[in-house]
Amino acid sequence: MSTKLAVNLHKLARFINVVIPLLLVLSFLLGWLVSFYFHFLTIAFLFLSLLNAYYLFGQRNHTLLRNFGILGQGRYMLESLGPELRQYLYANDTEERPFNRAERAEVYRKATNVDSAASFGSQNDFDQTEIKVRHSMFPTATSDLEPFRLVFGEDRQLENAYALKVPFIVSAMSYGALGQRAIRSFARGMGAVGGLMNTGEGGYPKYHLMESCDLVFQMGTAKFGVRNEDGSLNEKALAEIAALPQVKMIEIKLSQGAKPGKGGILPKEKITDEIAMLRGVSKDRDIVSPPCHVECKDYASTVAFIERVRSISELPTGIKLCIGHLDQFAQLAREMSRQGVFPDWITIDGAEGGTGAAPKAFIDRVGLPLLPALKGAHDLLVSAGIRDQLKLLASGKLINPGAQIVALCLGADAICTARGFMFAAGCIQAMQCGSNTCPVGITTHNPELQRGIVIEDKAKRVANYVRNLEHDLAELLCAVGVRSTREIGFQHLYVPSQSILNSYANAPLTP
Amino acid sequence: MTLSKPKRIASWIGQLIAVAIMGQTLFFKFTGHAESVQLFTELEMEPTGRYLIGALELVACLLLLIPSSVVYGALLGAGLMSGAIIGHITRLGWAGDRLSLGLSAIAALTACSAVLFLRRKEIPLVKSVLKDRPH
Repeated sequence: MSTKLAVNLHKLARFINVVIPLLLVLSFLLGWLVSFYFHFLTIAFLFLSLLNAYYLFGQRNHTLLRNFGILGQGRYMLESLGPELRQYLYANDTEERPFNRAERAEVYRKATNVDSAASFGSQNDFDQTEIKVRHSMFPTATSDLEPFRLVFGEDRQLENAYALKVPFIVSAMSYGALGQRAIRSFARGMGAVGGLMNTGEGGYPKYHLMESCDLVFQMGTAKFGVRNEDGSLNEKALAEIAALPQVKMIEIKLSQGAKPGKGGILPKEKITDEIAMLRGVSKDRDIVSPPCHVECKDYASTVAFIERVRSISELPTGIKLCIGHLDQFAQLAREMSRQGVFPDWITIDGAEGGTGAAPKAFIDRVGLPLLPALKGAHDLLVSAGIRDQLKLLASGKLINPGAQIVALCLGADAICTARGFMFAAGCIQAMQCGSNTCPVGITTHNPELQRGIVIEDKAKRVANYVRNLEHDLAELLCAVGVRSTREIGFQHLYVPSQSILNSYANAPLTP
Repeated sequence: MTLSKPKRIASWIGQLIAVAIMGQTLFFKFTGHAESVQLFTELEMEPTGRYLIGALELVACLLLLIPSSVVYGALLGAGLMSGAIIGHITRLGWAGDRLSLGLSAIAALTACSAVLFLRRKEIPLVKSVLKDRPH
């Protein structure tokens, strides 16, 4: 079958390119001889002729316009409308990426406290890839559920051990990545439910501290806020931040899912004077963090660095990484055992992750996806006999209860999500986080765009989202027939033959 | 799109010249000044055309003064001034007062064109072509 259109567009274009100047002459004659009003048309065709001449003979950038003239512009105009048209009209509820409309709508309903019951069956494919949760014939009574409680630092009897009571943590997003109103909305909402929020690697967490929520201070590879000139750790600055009453824990970011193997990026469009000051950098160019900490050259120095941060901060201290090789993770675990130093938690970031700017190849191609990384890491720690020494947190598209319970079954002790909270605060997935043009004011520093965010209102949505996630998690735990998240495991999952996890279903990984 | 300071100043000078030239005739157009009525009678547009052109010139002046719509004002102004020049060429002529009128139309067209050139990266249908130029 021919794919050519019935109309020969090149012929049509050449016809139009001749007709426009002819119409210019015709309307000029009519304006001269019949009525001066025809000169409105003369002017219109004059401008059109000039534009067309520029397309055909002036510009050299667009071949299509050089060959077709004004008609070629139709293609660019239609193409520019494409993303919006597809999102509004043509994409079905389950086909968009990274989050489809059904997933987004579930968060929106939770955030606004609207019942998220669906009818007439699932819209998902019940195919050979989808992991399902196995329920019990004898569900747990709601009254038998144990309240969630996860204590970081308890294993080493830390004086400043932190008890997490809400299993959903606001994942690392810096002031810089987010605007100040978005940060304060998240922080106020999490404060209301007694939750925990990660500050991201944005230096001194000025806006996070304006609300009452518990914080994890994240130290990225550039150590914004706690760095010396040479990029090494400024111990005094870290001790000062760790001494802030709201800062409960410290997270050392080794790598992140959006761009594993590469440092964080803040495009210069988003760098204000204040951000440059809080981070101690110039505002004239993109902020690109180094790919790793200067202190972390090998396994031994990495574990030693964890211990150093732990002893300076006197707080529970964890690490965050996206796994590339599971055997490297196994080596790191072995080194922890050798030195007898275990981070209080490890956040496993799936390669799915990322709100911010990253080279497309890194977003699309680099790093292990969350599910195999999490399962692999959990199995390695179990078989090394050190799973009890630390907690595992999981992040990577875990915005809905269905995805979250799967991660908990794979070994996670709690869930981190960034984009889930962004949706709760009104994100519409415009995917402009890196360009300072976020239309809903979340990832921009433009005050005119931030204006739309009413912190009090968005904080309520964030709190609603957390409470409804807790409600759904409780119901799922009851259905599975367990009393707490500690009791669920891989045996509660049905893993079909084509699933990414199938190899683990048949032959659990051994180190 | 932000212009460098000298270009921004040059553009604003052009905008103000165009606004001054178009704006000063508005009073005569809207109050039905004899000379204005005479012009539009010769163009066979009296009185509707006089009000219509006057209204469009007013809109062009306002657009030229609002920072986010300068190019639209310049486009509209350039169109109106081109029409005025066509009027002088085909019907009104250049004799006497008409010469200064015609020359002021040419001056306004030049000012609008200069503004459009300085702000060419803001012109719809042109900006996308200019922005994609390889560096």
